[in-house]
Amino acid sequence: MKVLVVEDEALLRHHLLTRLSESGHVVDAVANAEEALYQTREFNHDLAVVDLGLPGISGLDLIRQLRSNGERFPILILTARGNWQDKVEGLAAGADDYVVKPFQFEELEARLNALLRRSSGFTQASIEAGPLKLDLNRKQALVNDEPLALTAFEYRILEYLMRHQQQVVAKERLMEQLYPDDNERDANVIEVLVGRLRRKLEAQGGLKPIDTVRGLGYLFTERCR
Amino acid sequence: MSLRWRRWLVELRASRNGSLSLRLRLMLGATCLAILFMLALLPVLQAAFSLAFERVIEERLAADANTLITASRIEEGQLVMPDRLPDEEFDLPDAKLLGYIYDPQGNRLWQSRSAEDESIDYRPRLHGDVTEFQRVRDIEGVEYFVYDVELRLTNDDQRQAFSFVTMQPTSEYRSLFEEFRQQLYLWLGGGLLVLLTLLWLGLTWGFRSLKRLSHELDQVENGRLDRLSDQHPMELLRLTRSLNRLLDGERRQREQYRNSLGDLAHSLKTPLTVLQSVGEVISAQPDNREQARVMRAQIERMSQQIGYQLQRASLGQSGLVRHRVALQPLLVRLCSTLDKVYQDKHVRVDLDIPPNATLPLEQGALMELLGNLLENAYRLCLHQVRISLQEDAEYLLLSIEDDGPGVPVDQRARILRRGERLDAQHPGQGIGLAVVKDILDSYGGELRLDDSSLGGAAFRLRLPLE
Repeated sequence: MKVLVVEDEALLRHHLLTRLSESGHVVDAVANAEEALYQTREFNHDLAVVDLGLPGISGLDLIRQLRSNGERFPILILTARGNWQDKVEGLAAGADDYVVKPFQFEELEARLNALLRRSSGFTQASIEAGPLKLDLNRKQALVNDEPLALTAFEYRILEYLMRHQQQVVAKERLMEQLYPDDNERDANVIEVLVGRLRRKLEAQGGLKPIDTVRGLGYLFTERCR
Repeated sequence: MSLRWRRWLVELRASRNGSLSLRLRLMLGATCLAILFMLALLPVLQAAFSLAFERVIEERLAADANTLITASRIEEGQLVMPDRLPDEEFDLPDAKLLGYIYDPQGNRLWQSRSAEDESIDYRPRLHGDVTEFQRVRDIEGVEYFVYDVELRLTNDDQRQAFSFVTMQPTSEYRSLFEEFRQQLYLWLGGGLLVLLTLLWLGLTWGFRSLKRLSHELDQVENGRLDRLSDQHPMELLRLTRSLNRLLDGERRQREQYRNSLGDLAHSLKTPLTVLQSVGEVISAQPDNREQARVMRAQIERMSQQIGYQLQRASLGQSGLVRHRVALQPLLVRLCSTLDKVYQDKHVRVDLDIPPNATLPLEQGALMELLGNLLENAYRLCLHQVRISLQEDAEYLLLSIEDDGPGVPVDQRARILRRGERLDAQHPGQGIGLAVVKDILDSYGGELRLDDSSLGGAAFRLRLPLE
């Protein structure tokens, strides 16, 4: 998933960038609200982590701005004061959850995953489409309860497509899920990865859930629950 | 009316503590002065009146004596009085005016018809050309004013000086005097009443400005006004302006305090978060696991202390302002926040709160208090949370209940103790109840923990109304 981190403290920003990347997310980490607004205009994010105590435009104002720009992705706020005034105002402004500093990364990650599940409409820790099942916590795909050997990139594409089941997903969106920077992106890589994913799904369970919509992108055709 | 009586009772009770109201003091002082003044005035007025009245009687008797004198003639060395006197008073047997004439030896030569039934033993003193005015008593003890004039009716004989005496009983004078005194008392008493009423009205008028000030202060305390107005009498302006400066100062200071506490929290906790993350990185290497564990535990402790102390510092009672915060809107805001966070749980919240119930706490403090308790309830409940408010004469009882696992009896005391926490799964939860207890302490409230009819825990807050 593509995550935006807005945190002014460089070390913490770096830490969040590293840990979230390790967990398989594509992370844009910025230091202030202006950069965050720029990032959200340019890219499609699935989630944002916003520190309330930002210099300049405050985290609260940033959240309001994002929501009034029509951004729908879940937002988790980080608050140092941890008082209820901040939490209530933050959530009223449009955030979806809060974590009080200092936090352990595991807690933050658990909250982020819960938000992602919720935003895609899946409140369980897994997504199922017939015999195919994704364990969202362990980042593992299963066919008939047998683990499917996927690379991290393949898994991410599959998860993204399943989260956006029965919607056409553009190649550019998938690329954003895989690479943080523009210059590394190559449309051919996506085609190669999707091709490999299809082969693996077909080999293990005879599944053909991914269609190509010419000129637009890919479509996960199975109904997920 | 009953209100006024109650206020009087309060004033009376206050007077025993030595804190009599200003108006009552002034009233008492003025009443004492007025009564003293009238007590001094009374004898003076009475003496002046009696003097003037006696003078009038003396003149009347003198005039009557003149009547006798002009009526009398000396014929052949003998005093002759006419049968009828010009003044009929003398001729009526039961008239009050008596007339006597004595010869120089003191023998009674003549008495008026009105004096015939009287028996007054009066002897003129006869010492020359003198008039005398005095009082005498007759045998029965009836008192008379006596006017006695000695007069020589003929020029030649020195011994022919007669004594003309007129008398009048003092009873008439007394009854007049009595009447006067009654009138005097009546008027003075009435005057006193009118004076005191006017004084009371004047004081009320004068004290209205004080009342207005106290009304404004009430509004400031209730938070309806930010500061006192400038529409007060000159004598009070000095005071109200000082109070305003104090209020503004306090408000500024509070804001500053809050902001700097927020900054402090931010500037301490963000580095702690960084340290925490460094600890996590270190713990990835098997050799360092133990050190990393110690480090994380210490960081956790520091952050709890910082969080706790900072919250505590910002949530004390403020000086002048007495808070009243509407409960329902605050609960709705908190619940909508928590509904969002615990969306997946679909918690049902039952609010059993009178729509305009208020709690006597500062907004921020109340928010922390309820936020912490409600988050507990949301976190631990299965599907249901109930918030209810009861009120008796002295206390407000707010209950927050859930249908979760509840708290075993033997652990209740422990989790209400400061800083303890039962689950290590949710860092930062430990200070929640400690903050709740601190806030309640600073407002004189109590926190109890028992079983809920929903099946889980019931946190019950008891707050004194005043």
